[in-house]
Amino acid sequence: MKFKPLLILVVLIFALCMVPFVLPAYYVTLVLPAIAYGIALIGFNLLFGYTGLLSFGHALYIALGAYTVAIFTSRLGITSMELNILAAVLCSMVIAIPIGLLCVRYVRIFFGMLTLAFGMLFHSFLFKFYELTGGDSGIKVIRPHLFGQDLSHLDKTAYLIGPFFYYSLFLLLIFGFIMWRMVNSPLGNHLKTIRDNPRKAEYLGVKVHQFRLISFVISAMYGAVGGALLVVPVGLADPELAYWTHSGNIVFMTILGGFNHFFGPIVGAFAFIGLKDQLVTLTQYWRFALGVVLVLLVILLPGGIMGLLSKKNSPNRGGD
Amino acid sequence: MTAYFDIILSGIFHAAVLFLIAGGLQLVFGVQKIVNLACGAFYALGAYFGITMVGLAIKYGISQELLIFILLISGIVIGLIGVVIERLLRLVYDREEGFQLLLTFAIMLLLEDVIRMIWGATPKTLGNLSMVYGQITLGSISIPNYKLLVIFASVALALGLGWILQKTKFGKIVRATAENRRMSEALGVNVIWINVVIFTLGSILGTIGGALVVPTSAASLEMISEVVVEAFAVVVIGGLGSMRGALVGALIVGLMRAFAVHVYAELELLLIYLIVIAVLIFKPNGLYGKAAE
Amino acid sequence: MKKKLVQNKNRRSVMKGFGAASLLAVGGSWGFPAIAQNRPLKVGILAPRAGIAATIGECGLRGVLFAVDKINKSGGIAGRKVELIVEEETNAKDTTERFRKLVLQDKVDCVQGLVSSGVSLAMSPTVEEMKALTIYWDGTSQDGVKETIPNPKYLFRSTDNECEAVMSSLLAIKYFKGQFATIAGINPDYSYGRNNWAAFQALLKRFGIQYKVVAEQWPKVGTMDLSSHIASLKAAKPDLIFSSLLFADLPVFMQNAHAAGLTKGTKFVMPAAGFQQTLLKKEFTPEGMVFGLNTLDFNYPNATPLQKEFVQHYFDKFKDYPNWEADRAYFAMQVFKAGTEKAVKAKGAGGWPKTEEIASAIEGIQVESLGGPGMMRADHIAEQTFYQGLTTHKNKYDFVTTNPTDKKFSNELQKPPGVDFWQWLETAKITL
Repeated sequence: MKFKPLLILVVLIFALCMVPFVLPAYYVTLVLPAIAYGIALIGFNLLFGYTGLLSFGHALYIALGAYTVAIFTSRLGITSMELNILAAVLCSMVIAIPIGLLCVRYVRIFFGMLTLAFGMLFHSFLFKFYELTGGDSGIKVIRPHLFGQDLSHLDKTAYLIGPFFYYSLFLLLIFGFIMWRMVNSPLGNHLKTIRDNPRKAEYLGVKVHQFRLISFVISAMYGAVGGALLVVPVGLADPELAYWTHSGNIVFMTILGGFNHFFGPIVGAFAFIGLKDQLVTLTQYWRFALGVVLVLLVILLPGGIMGLLSKKNSPNRGGD
Repeated sequence: MTAYFDIILSGIFHAAVLFLIAGGLQLVFGVQKIVNLACGAFYALGAYFGITMVGLAIKYGISQELLIFILLISGIVIGLIGVVIERLLRLVYDREEGFQLLLTFAIMLLLEDVIRMIWGATPKTLGNLSMVYGQITLGSISIPNYKLLVIFASVALALGLGWILQKTKFGKIVRATAENRRMSEALGVNVIWINVVIFTLGSILGTIGGALVVPTSAASLEMISEVVVEAFAVVVIGGLGSMRGALVGALIVGLMRAFAVHVYAELELLLIYLIVIAVLIFKPNGLYGKAAE
Repeated sequence: MKKKLVQNKNRRSVMKGFGAASLLAVGGSWGFPAIAQNRPLKVGILAPRAGIAATIGECGLRGVLFAVDKINKSGGIAGRKVELIVEEETNAKDTTERFRKLVLQDKVDCVQGLVSSGVSLAMSPTVEEMKALTIYWDGTSQDGVKETIPNPKYLFRSTDNECEAVMSSLLAIKYFKGQFATIAGINPDYSYGRNNWAAFQALLKRFGIQYKVVAEQWPKVGTMDLSSHIASLKAAKPDLIFSSLLFADLPVFMQNAHAAGLTKGTKFVMPAAGFQQTLLKKEFTPEGMVFGLNTLDFNYPNATPLQKEFVQHYFDKFKDYPNWEADRAYFAMQVFKAGTEKAVKAKGAGGWPKTEEIASAIEGIQVESLGGPGMMRADHIAEQTFYQGLTTHKNKYDFVTTNPTDKKFSNELQKPPGVDFWQWLETAKITL
């Protein structure tokens, strides 16, 4: 990585670390879902930006991660966050492999529709099987122990803006770093090749389906980690996490940040959550405002915020 | 046996409405190759506008028996908003599918709040107005005539559309453009105009669907995102781009749902998604679809 | 025998206490220490403003505005005026976030509201963790009939969900005993619907009524297209249908059920139908249904002057009649007022009481609500007066009302502190 961007990155990380000391408690708790979505979205973008597959059912994996944590903490009594995250990752891998095997054989609109169908299948399952999943009310999430520390002496807010905030940030850094290494490795190159010209890639001997599957499963695992983090502040995993419009928002956030750039999704997560919070306070017609933002994005600024910043504003993927 | 009659009737009624929305989706996909996520918004728009028009009609003393005609006309009138929306969509015809999908998602968000602004966020109903047509009672079966009228209207629209697409010159041009846009353009077809007409026709079908369903149900904002999933199931099962597919798909989805609710309520929508997934795996083009490019 | 006497005695002593309590409430700020508190008391309100529960949230808001208006006109709470900050109740996650904003950003002195049992259940742990005084209008912290927060400090909940189901069951047994063998349920698919259906069946069993469930429908909350569900119910041919549908889907259900011929010859038991009373028009709503009005029957013949005043005010202003959410909202504000004033008095010259002190003071407090007397138990669960009856078309409106209307205090309808629901059912002396 070049020096200037690295410097900016370090400054930003430092700024994030300072957030609990600088911002009022409410805004700190707002940053938490941004971090969680950040992780989920860099995973999503592996599939979208780097592999060229638009999934409209990605919320499934976020919900999966969320429910895993919920079941583990409130029904199985396993409070270690590390074990919970591991479980979420494993669960999503197990579910994503068969779904991925089916889906990656298709492209474009069929891929989108198939992923949407699976997402809604899961949503229906979560909603209807009341005995198992708590139905509409979902399943509670008990405050997990971070690195083995039982922090129940702290009240919820102190826990969230303190240890949990830094824990999330730490996970973002780790998972972000892993993703960075992945996309800058031969794997990343394979994926970009497949994205740009699948036939040529196949001709060159790249096993298109296999790599798409790998990309799919990794993005699912990231989604699950994001979901696991997302659910702790709320204390509840509910079926709406898997609804198709949530998947739509995920795509929105990624495009907002810029799918052509590695950090785009993270920027998108922060921007979307900040934007939504301000809009909700400003007007009851915030969906309209968000709709306008999305229209402008698609038509004028398809490269998103990062596209604007790095002047790479082409709707065609050629990023990084 | 008579017990199942009610269930079948309710399934067919649901199918009749679904056909209209799915039909709209198919038309737009066939010609413009765009999957319109905002179809649910048109559906809701038709429902709310229908209620407003009926309210006005009653206020001005129009006979309640003209209910269904008022609803049909309302559907057509509000569906014309498709002309405006098409203008927006035109900007992404040449773009990648993902962006087209996203734009329709944005339009869905916009329209939802427009509806909220105009009609508020509380669901609206037409009370018991549909009973103005009475019911047919055969033993223990009692069928509200309104439902029969809606099924009839939907069939009529299906036949009408079929006739237009198969037998008229306009229909031939539309089908040609759907097959090969560039060629049509080269042959002098005014593709821009075709796009406007087809998209508007598609949105009108959606708004009519919403208007017709409202007397026995209600207009609510939830309609917008919920109908999308069922409509998608219909077009996947029937095959993207095929009107016949929309008809058959709608029947399958409508009847399946009616029976699922009866037999094993938990399964209700799950069954539909399972079928969608099965179709996508074994026959990705659906029952009547053409192979995708 | 002994148990029955004890129960009646409790009821009488509770009733007697109300006279004194209402005097105190009406007395306003008389006799309270002159605290130079010009800062208003901020109360955060969480109520649905959109969707199927919008009309219910609106009714609740009107109720709390009426309460606040009266309170401020008579000097406020211990001399401080009340100011409301209203946020929207939507789903569990977003509502919890709005709650957090009210507590952390707006720094409200109390949060009141919540209509959905699902949301309230989800939000309850957050309430206790954030140490924010919260009084639910219509919310509970019960998962089914199981209490999830047995010893709350800051959270005050409404009566248990099973109250209306229990009362409906009792009335169903009273009026329909021996007239039904098969039952069917169509209930909203969330905790409230599930609680109600389970409680109804439990009561039937308790009274030794033989029955068979021939159909169980669980329409998703918000579904307006109920024709398949109705068709399925018809196919099952039940003698009695129990439905705790209560949102905007209820009038749609009733109308379609009527059109499908389901309302002929089938008994209906609807514990929560009161929310939609004015929309349940006579033309499609049959007579002789067990109809739940919960804690407010606007049409009650022997209503208190307070209720009459409110109903008149509501009609004059909104051209409509209130449902029980207005009473719940009024009750919550009264409980807050009474508790705060009691704590202020106890504190004397020591300044304004802490949240914990106000919470303690609320325990056991008795107030006069729109629908009648009510109180807050020591375990933070409310006790209120419940109204249910059989529907009739003999009234001056275009919708149904109830006649006869039975009245029961909730201590006959919900389990006492610390007791498990199923245990209570077995052993309690429940009278028809």
